[in-house]
Amino acid sequence: MTSTSSKSGTNPLAAKPGTTGIDPRGPRFGATITVILLAVDIVLGLLGVSVTSPTTLAQRVSDPAFILLAVIALIFAWGAFAGITRHPWGFIYKKLVRPALKAPTELEDPKPPTFAQLIGLIVTGVGIILALVGVPYGLVIAAAAAFIAAFLNSVFGYCLGCQIYVLLVRAGILGRATTA
Amino acid sequence: MDPLLAVAVLAGLVVVATIIGLIARTREGRVHEVHRFRKVTPEELDLEQRFGSFATLVQFSSEFCAKCPATRDLLTSTASAHPGVAHVDVDITHRPDIANSFNIMQTPTTLVLDETGAIAARIGGAPRPDALTEALTIALRRDHDLYVI
Repeated sequence: MTSTSSKSGTNPLAAKPGTTGIDPRGPRFGATITVILLAVDIVLGLLGVSVTSPTTLAQRVSDPAFILLAVIALIFAWGAFAGITRHPWGFIYKKLVRPALKAPTELEDPKPPTFAQLIGLIVTGVGIILALVGVPYGLVIAAAAAFIAAFLNSVFGYCLGCQIYVLLVRAGILGRATTA
Repeated sequence: MDPLLAVAVLAGLVVVATIIGLIARTREGRVHEVHRFRKVTPEELDLEQRFGSFATLVQFSSEFCAKCPATRDLLTSTASAHPGVAHVDVDITHRPDIANSFNIMQTPTTLVLDETGAIAARIGGAPRPDALTEALTIALRRDHDLYVI
């Protein structure tokens, strides 16, 4: 750690010892796919039954926007529980995109993007619950919140989940139960 | 709903997300001079290391933090390049009291302390290339006659 330049010396974003670093372009590629899916879902939601009331449960569950949001939530759950390194978009990146690119100049810790998947799961999960209960616009608002977070990740490389994590620690919701 | 209106809503979301992203990018890593007098001690931060004789870079990190490792590397190399400047890293994951005490809204956040341990400058997010030089300059030229200690 005595290198004077972060570019020429050791990898500044290297994962902690004992963990495997990942190509930081992988999660951003995945976020781009998620952005597109959520954009489709928002338009479907605005055109579907989720913005009208009253509706029957059967109508709400068979709404294309509901089905697509459930699929997106399942993919978030996969990323959150299996880890970002086993994410389905990661496989697509590895097979199709990565071979066409140069080697990454840096590797990053897989923990922050995995936590971001959990935040995505919670937000889309809330949307699914609101849609099941029949709250008008609930599905669209949750999809829009997830869209903004995924957009910031994809376009700006900004980890909104990481920012929220600090606020949750301060509120005493996370981090306090375990010891360092 | 009219399909055109649905697409307009989506376009609006893209605009909002872009504005948030641009604001976050503009604000990140800038130096804010701290005028209020607040002295920090290593004990307060639960540290065994001692502060630098000229200045100290206090980094606040957390468990899920994309830019903390790169910032740690930058601050370590800056400290080793400047004799008398120390770098310390505080993990707030299990210390919400410290995060609240210093009003940490994001990680990494860097406080630059002067030779007395008083906060001279604050950098939220990963520091910009010239931010550390600017913050260290503020810390080194502090006029302590301003304070009634």
